[in-house]
Amino acid sequence: MPRSAWKGPFFVALPGLKQALTQNIPVRTNARACTIIPSFVGLKFQIHNGKDYVPITVNQEMVGHKLGEFAPTRKRFSYRLTKNR
Amino acid sequence: MLHLLGVNLPDQKLVQYALPLFYGIGQKTSLKILAALSIHKKCKVSDLSESQVTQLSSLLTEMTIESDLRKQIRANIMHHRSIGTYVGRRHAMGLPVRGQNTRNNAKTARRLNGRWLKAERKEYSTATTRSIIPTPDSPFESFFNRNWF
Repeated sequence: MPRSAWKGPFFVALPGLKQALTQNIPVRTNARACTIIPSFVGLKFQIHNGKDYVPITVNQEMVGHKLGEFAPTRKRFSYRLTKNR
Repeated sequence: MLHLLGVNLPDQKLVQYALPLFYGIGQKTSLKILAALSIHKKCKVSDLSESQVTQLSSLLTEMTIESDLRKQIRANIMHHRSIGTYVGRRHAMGLPVRGQNTRNNAKTARRLNGRWLKAERKEYSTATTRSIIPTPDSPFESFFNRNWF
């Protein structure tokens, strides 16, 4: 079920957003659940994936998605013959 | 046989059960259409009057069914793929998109996911015959690219 319209999109106040707009500094954040709102377009983000910060640049098409959708949290399985390597 | 918008509706079938032959119409929508056009439930395709057929076809052309719907679904998936969301990745890998387990089975996803993307790739490729060389992210290729030693 989608979120009720009267609540509006969920987003958190990101510190350093103003600075990012003017100086083109990436916003480092752990707020993966934050919705990308139209004013984010063109900004650079570094989104936490549980281990490190994945860099992404927001474009027009990404509006309405969540930040976390662009930072995968799982590593792809790759087979190793021995463990101690 | 009643030929409507590229789909053949067999004469002997009830209209109720003939309409779901369209891609994008199920039992529920079929019944709604019957109610909207005031066709009774036991009506067969052969019993439809001329005016009812025209009404039906005009109603169906307004709906997104068949190729329009397929195009729409494909566009939605391509949207996810092009902006690089998790959903798009899962589609490309042919794995379940909504957090289902993948330890066993995941058969439906393996059958269905990724086929739109593969179709897209085929369109772009210039090869006329089916190439033996597997595509980069096929399970085949990843099998070969494993670190064996």
